[in-house]
Amino acid sequence: MAETSFINPFKAIKYLFKKPKTLCYPFELKEPAVRYRGFHINDWDKCTGCGNCADICPNEAIEMVKIAELVSKPEEGLKDERPELDYGRCCFCGLCVDICPPGSLSLTRDYFHIHFNTDTFTFIPRDEKADKDSFVSDDEYSVLKASLSHRKKDYRGFSPEIEYALFETDRVRMPEISPKKRKLSFIEQVIGYKKEEAISEATRCLGCKLCEQACPAHLQIYEYIHAIAEDLPEKSLRKIFEDNPIPSMCGRICMKHCEDACSLSIRGDALAIRWLKRFVADTIDDYKKALEITPGKSTGKKIAVIGAGPSGLSLAYFLRLKGHDVIVFDELPGGGGTLRTGPPTYRLPLDSIDKDVNYIKSLGVTFKFNTKVGKDIKFDKLLKDYDAVFLGIGNTVSFSTRVKNAEKCCLALEYLEDNKIGKQRKVGKKVIVIGGGNVAMDVARETIRLQHMQHPKEKVVTKTVSLEDWHELPATEEEIEEAKEEDIQFNPAWGPKEVVLDSNGNIKGLECKKVKSVFDGKGRFAPTFYENKTQFLEGDMVIEAIGQRPDFSFMGKRADKLQFTKRKKVKVDKNGMTSIPKVFAGGDIVNINLDAVTAIADAKVAAEGITKYLLK
Amino acid sequence: MKTLKKKIESSFDNINITVTDNNMDISIDKNGIVTLLSFLKNMGYEHLALISCVDLPDEKLLEIVYILSAYMENDKKFTEKEARNIIVKTRIPRDKANFVTVIDIFENAEPYERELHELFGIHFQGHPRLTPLFLELEYKIPPFRKDFDTRKFVKQFFENIPAVE
Amino acid sequence: MRELELYFGPQHLGMVGNFSITLKVEGDRIKKADANPGYLHRGFEKLMEYRTWMQNFPLVCRINVVEPDHIELIYSMGVEKLAGIDVPLRGKFIRSIYCELARVGSHLFGLWAYSNMLGFDTVAQWAMYHRDLVLDLFEELTGARVYHIYIRPGGVRRDFPQGFEDKIISTLHSIGGKVPDYNATFFENRLFEKRAKGVGTLTRENAVKWGAVGHAMRATGMKYDIRKIEPYAAYDQVEWEVPTRNEGDAYSRLLAIRDEMIESVHMIFKLIDKMPKKGAVYTKTPNPFQWKIPAGEAYVRCESSRGELGLYIVSDGGDKPYRVHFRTPSYSHGLTILEKVLEGESIADVGNIMISLYVVAPEIDR
Repeated sequence: MAETSFINPFKAIKYLFKKPKTLCYPFELKEPAVRYRGFHINDWDKCTGCGNCADICPNEAIEMVKIAELVSKPEEGLKDERPELDYGRCCFCGLCVDICPPGSLSLTRDYFHIHFNTDTFTFIPRDEKADKDSFVSDDEYSVLKASLSHRKKDYRGFSPEIEYALFETDRVRMPEISPKKRKLSFIEQVIGYKKEEAISEATRCLGCKLCEQACPAHLQIYEYIHAIAEDLPEKSLRKIFEDNPIPSMCGRICMKHCEDACSLSIRGDALAIRWLKRFVADTIDDYKKALEITPGKSTGKKIAVIGAGPSGLSLAYFLRLKGHDVIVFDELPGGGGTLRTGPPTYRLPLDSIDKDVNYIKSLGVTFKFNTKVGKDIKFDKLLKDYDAVFLGIGNTVSFSTRVKNAEKCCLALEYLEDNKIGKQRKVGKKVIVIGGGNVAMDVARETIRLQHMQHPKEKVVTKTVSLEDWHELPATEEEIEEAKEEDIQFNPAWGPKEVVLDSNGNIKGLECKKVKSVFDGKGRFAPTFYENKTQFLEGDMVIEAIGQRPDFSFMGKRADKLQFTKRKKVKVDKNGMTSIPKVFAGGDIVNINLDAVTAIADAKVAAEGITKYLLK
Repeated sequence: MKTLKKKIESSFDNINITVTDNNMDISIDKNGIVTLLSFLKNMGYEHLALISCVDLPDEKLLEIVYILSAYMENDKKFTEKEARNIIVKTRIPRDKANFVTVIDIFENAEPYERELHELFGIHFQGHPRLTPLFLELEYKIPPFRKDFDTRKFVKQFFENIPAVE
Repeated sequence: MRELELYFGPQHLGMVGNFSITLKVEGDRIKKADANPGYLHRGFEKLMEYRTWMQNFPLVCRINVVEPDHIELIYSMGVEKLAGIDVPLRGKFIRSIYCELARVGSHLFGLWAYSNMLGFDTVAQWAMYHRDLVLDLFEELTGARVYHIYIRPGGVRRDFPQGFEDKIISTLHSIGGKVPDYNATFFENRLFEKRAKGVGTLTRENAVKWGAVGHAMRATGMKYDIRKIEPYAAYDQVEWEVPTRNEGDAYSRLLAIRDEMIESVHMIFKLIDKMPKKGAVYTKTPNPFQWKIPAGEAYVRCESSRGELGLYIVSDGGDKPYRVHFRTPSYSHGLTILEKVLEGESIADVGNIMISLYVVAPEIDR
């Protein structure tokens, strides 16, 4: 270093003649950076009210408040609450922005608020579309008037970016059999999670509980997923059994309303709630030892349940817990109802069904299989001998298109039942399936497997014909994707006109006509066609899978007293009782969702209703 | 490092040493602390980085932790001074928390022990001034112990202050 | 002569921060000094036991008001060591560049404090202006000027924006171009030499005995720098030297600070050259609401602009820390060394010695 001196410092005199670096605030402003962390804005169109921002704030500055103008829509995962911020506590760290699942909350470059009234510092943020008065354009904006109600437009700062979010967007992949291998046999398609994969998937859950509102049976989803993440499958099973006694079945075929409402599904993959329920049901071999449930004290009342489907089994379980005696009648050789005969073995094998049914049997419920009410035992006798009767009969009769020569076709429900628990049907090499719903997908995918098994190494094809076009197909997206992977050919927006026979009376093919529209202006089913546009599809077998209906003939004359709703479902009051006293109903004949978990919800309602009725 | 470990183990009993990539953890009975610390200082570990304390209410013990390191000149090769940090731990009973001071060995231990006296309630025998360092009020339970109820304290203390008009 | 007891209290023109010293003086010479910390005790270590691992990192930066970046770094290093997480290479380079920029800013702040205390406002205003340029760089990278909240367990929060490296280089060139003016006006000023030479001398044996760290140790001639002893982040990927001085008084300490600042600026240029152009900047950590770290303990340390900063962290297997204890460099400098070095000095030099030792009050109290 150089010598110190007295003269050197005078070199600083040159700065006397340079421009000072002072900023004359507020007349000269300094622009904040693009990523500045100032006040919040919230896009109410994207915000779902999940409350994750309130959970993560380290200073508890955010509170969720109910907004009167909004409407809660549980099945889509929307709540009527929005975050309210206390700026006395907020430290502007931006953790709420990084955790927000839909990415609606972000920070702006405004940072001024001066007011005499301290209540204005507690603030519900909106955004520019919703709150036009607070956000002004550049020429009207003045920094001397800046406050929470006088902010600049288009002034975003620290925004959410999906690759830096604090939650995990990708699901743990479920191992499955590949399409090339699985269409050759009835092996179960989904292999199942191992323990580490299940724990890793269960830790993704953020705990916002939007799924619990969307589930029709209101299962305690957060509790049982949290128990899996802590490696306590028995505790998880106990939580599931408080609301759902058939986890092994639901874990394979549930329509997963919960996953559609999951927060993570907005910008990532939904939490695999159904596969985690399946993991718990498969991991525990002996339900009885893990659950330790004892039925309640005997009340002496007897209830008859017709149909051992999801609604009948659940009702039997709930009533048995309260101590009543329950007898379940079913015409099939085992439990499960339509679930036993409908979904093919690659989706729902029989031993999964029997595991659940045997546990319910072990609690003391009596099952009378191969017993058809109306034939083996009269309905009137049931009404006389039992204190209450529950109809869980489901939809057992297939509709037919009734076009010319339709009697030569097979019907879906009998076809599926014979292939699963009866004698396997012989299939042709070119099969046509009429229908676009989940049952049609089941029929088509079962047929392609039977074709490969019965005609190995030959060219086989399965086609579907449906009135609905691609965007209206009622089957779930999952089923359509997997059917396409197995080389099933789709022909949407074509309707059946006539089944064409050859000279020997065997099926040659199906004549189709183009669909103009399926639903009319009011949303009712009223298809219209272009009669001149036709095409001919070759085929040696036609299966009709266009819908199912219930069969009330076993009730005899009493069936006339049953009242129906406008949508042709059995009318029940808020206790589950039909218009005939002592007769309750639930399941596919009552609700319009037509799935297992809504049947369980109906059974819960009916269990409470029956108990109240019996106390009178 | 193994030579150092052997040397320590041969000179002391009631001792437990684990070595994990360049750090050494030593647990010793409370009577041997003073001799062990002066032994380590003579081996070259002259820098007392921290004296800390962990509250274990289930076992009714307080664990006192001493962290030592060496002033290594980084243009020489180290031979026996290979352990970067040595953590020495000992346990004392929670109800009668009395201990000896190490100021004679390390002079800069004085404020650390004063802080532990104030926040955990440990009395160090031989310390020249055990007056409060940070806090102004007297507390029945020392504040950093696990059974000090922070919610109750906030309610008692702050809700009695009249609001500003 | 009679002894007088004076309060060099928290409100004093020569004091930086809320800290007070009780002096027993005889005439102009100090006989005994007693440090009185505690005006800024906020109880961070107890507060951190009630928040989860991820909720703690916005809280931690408030421990040192002047230079919060190294405390964010040390907390994340402690959690990563307990959980066994590794940071990707680009993330390590970004952390090093960020910490070196913080060091430059903090040394400029110290220069402001020292020359302001001496009464020399010209250099103080220059230093504050150049620090403002560095804070502008931070605002562009992280979104805030003082409490950046940028380093999280697993890496950093966002990547560099477009064109940021060029901005860093041009800002540092404009600061570095003024070094001859700083030298001529302040460091080679005969007045500064007379004020600071021989004041507050710390010999090598006393420094070792009383636990000095950082530049106070380097001014006595020992090359003690944690970035060389236990390299962390990307400091072992570039070549650099540790500057030392020999006398151990306030003059050498200020010169050591200046040399360190220049070395940091050169190091930033080398790091920007060597940084990988693309890559991830953080490792994914589990869900912040359910992240549980296995039981254990860890002691990690780094070199902040004031000296050796350490963290002792204990986990009991849950989702919140069990015990957190920060070892801050101002603790031994402000409480042990200050009291011993002030004996025999005059009252006018109290601020001189305190600021040359770089004592910052919030770090002592936490």
